[in-house]
Amino acid sequence: MNLDFIIKVFSDSLYFTGPILLVSLGGLFAYKAGVVNIGLDGMMGIGALASALVLFYTGNWLIAIIGGIISGVLIGLLFSFFGVTKKANFIITGFAINLLSTALGKYVLALEGRTDINVIGTISNLNTRIEIPLIKDIPILGPIISNQTPLVYISFILIFVLSFVIYKTKFGTYVRVVGESEEAAKSVGININKIKYLAVIIGAVLAALAGYEVAINQLNAYTADITAGIGFIALAAIYCGDGKPKTVAIYAILFGLTRSLATNLAIRIGSIAGLLQIIPYLMIVIVLTTVAIINHRKSLYRGFLDE
Amino acid sequence: MDRKEKLNSLKYSIINSIIPILIAFGIGAIAIILAKENPLSAYGTLFYRSLFNIKGIFNTLHFAGPLILTGLAIAISFKAGLFNMGIEGQLLSAGFVVAVMGNVWGELPKTVLVPLLLVVGVLVGVIVAIIPTMLKAFYNVNEMVVTLLLNYAIIHILQYLTENTFRDPSSGYVSTPRISSNAIPSRIFEDYRLTTFFIVAIVVYVIFYFIMKRSKLGFEITALGQNRNFAEATGMRIQKKIIIIMLASGALAGLAGAGWMMSEKYAYTLSFSGIPGLGWDGMLIALLGSHSPIGILIAAVFYAVVKTGSSNIAIFTSVPYEIVILLQALIVLFLSLKVFVKPKELKLGEPSVPKKRFKNLFKGGKE
Repeated sequence: MNLDFIIKVFSDSLYFTGPILLVSLGGLFAYKAGVVNIGLDGMMGIGALASALVLFYTGNWLIAIIGGIISGVLIGLLFSFFGVTKKANFIITGFAINLLSTALGKYVLALEGRTDINVIGTISNLNTRIEIPLIKDIPILGPIISNQTPLVYISFILIFVLSFVIYKTKFGTYVRVVGESEEAAKSVGININKIKYLAVIIGAVLAALAGYEVAINQLNAYTADITAGIGFIALAAIYCGDGKPKTVAIYAILFGLTRSLATNLAIRIGSIAGLLQIIPYLMIVIVLTTVAIINHRKSLYRGFLDE
Repeated sequence: MDRKEKLNSLKYSIINSIIPILIAFGIGAIAIILAKENPLSAYGTLFYRSLFNIKGIFNTLHFAGPLILTGLAIAISFKAGLFNMGIEGQLLSAGFVVAVMGNVWGELPKTVLVPLLLVVGVLVGVIVAIIPTMLKAFYNVNEMVVTLLLNYAIIHILQYLTENTFRDPSSGYVSTPRISSNAIPSRIFEDYRLTTFFIVAIVVYVIFYFIMKRSKLGFEITALGQNRNFAEATGMRIQKKIIIIMLASGALAGLAGAGWMMSEKYAYTLSFSGIPGLGWDGMLIALLGSHSPIGILIAAVFYAVVKTGSSNIAIFTSVPYEIVILLQALIVLFLSLKVFVKPKELKLGEPSVPKKRFKNLFKGGKE
């Protein structure tokens, strides 16, 4: 274990945390508003598909981001229309969106006769990583923090912004009231459906941005299984952190770190590397269990469906 | 519920299953137009080749076997309000172990090996289901997130084992060695692909039909799904029921994986379960059949038609096979709405005069 390796692990953990953080911070709004959105993974995939397609055909990353955001809004509207207006079963609607994301991806790729949408040529002259002056010169910390993609920095800033939104703004309070008790929200005249729509759409847009980050900035190509379960990892972070932005962020960072560890160890040890890919998933299950044991000591069984 | 009422609610549940299918096929038509084909003739190929000739029908039934089982696996857990999303991982694991053992035990006679491997498949399905089951039953860990994440872990493990430890060096692509011919269940008719595994699936189906419809356990599952707190208050032992249901669900998934391996695939490859995977297909089937045994049987056959039909349109037209996943996703999406039309309920004390008058409008005003 040398210093370079440790720096690489921590620097990569920020890289992996970025998308997880974006999805989980966005998803916690729906969670707080009492809507279980398991479609986050699909929303991310659709965002990745939309932005990769737009970038491939226009060559302009700004239009690609806008395309991703629009796809996020649309898919969020779709989910809300089904789940909130039509009172469909959230779980099944969310699951359908995950399926739809894979289906659209595979269908588009099959139609185009390719296995991925490669955008590496399109963005070769675009520097996707930012060097922060001053900070980059600090020993050890500099190489870790500096030279990340803009969305990584944005995702970390969002922890505090969204924490403020949830706890200090009218909208955030409404979201929490709707989640706590719809009756109470109705009685003070809150438009419940509007709040739920907004909460879901925030999640969908941030998930779509995470899709952009992974497809364009990280892998430079879209494939149908691009999300690698990040949506579900984010969902686990939201559950573990009980929707509190800062706590959720800690879990997201923890999961990002595990992923980075698995990937970096894998480079070092040869053919057994493939097996290390399971560490993040197992780690999350262990964390979920630990949190559940602590949380449910008090309430045991009665009422656990109402979570 | 009297007979007439029952018939009426059945009518509506059928309508509510057919509408999503029609909408999905309608949107699917747009996708077919994008592939520069005529949707009508593409759908014609889809249904004609898998439904309107003997070979097609037997092929369809052959593919319906594992689908019936995964449909049941999802239905039994969903009906109890438990979201076992791990069917896919359980099915893959069972398929993998059966592929390895079907090769290792190749010397055993067929009459011993086939049932033995089916039992192995069931056991593997149960073993894989144990972790999320115990976490749910004892610590109330969200089973949906756990099973979804474990699927990823399982896929990585199986990929590693297939690429390294159990790889068949003589094969040109990543695959385990082929199972012995003694491990392949015999065909029912010499010329068609349908094997005795289909009979096994049907027998299991009938057993489950009686469990769901006639036994105490079946009623308890329904009660648990409808109101867990109430079910618990009546003195039901929830913990035990959760364990039984989740493990039964895993067993069905394991059986489906074993059967798919032995009757169709013969070796484990990384695309063993196809896209999007038999376990996920089970989700569609359970929803389409609205978790009722008869509904699941019909839905499984229907989806087998769509699946075999899709490979036919991929052969005979320029529409890619992936159209089947698109249709599946759309059907599930619109099925989540649950109700498109509701049976009209006559409320007590409702004035009957306006209703009569309204009726007469259609009858031409004759009293």
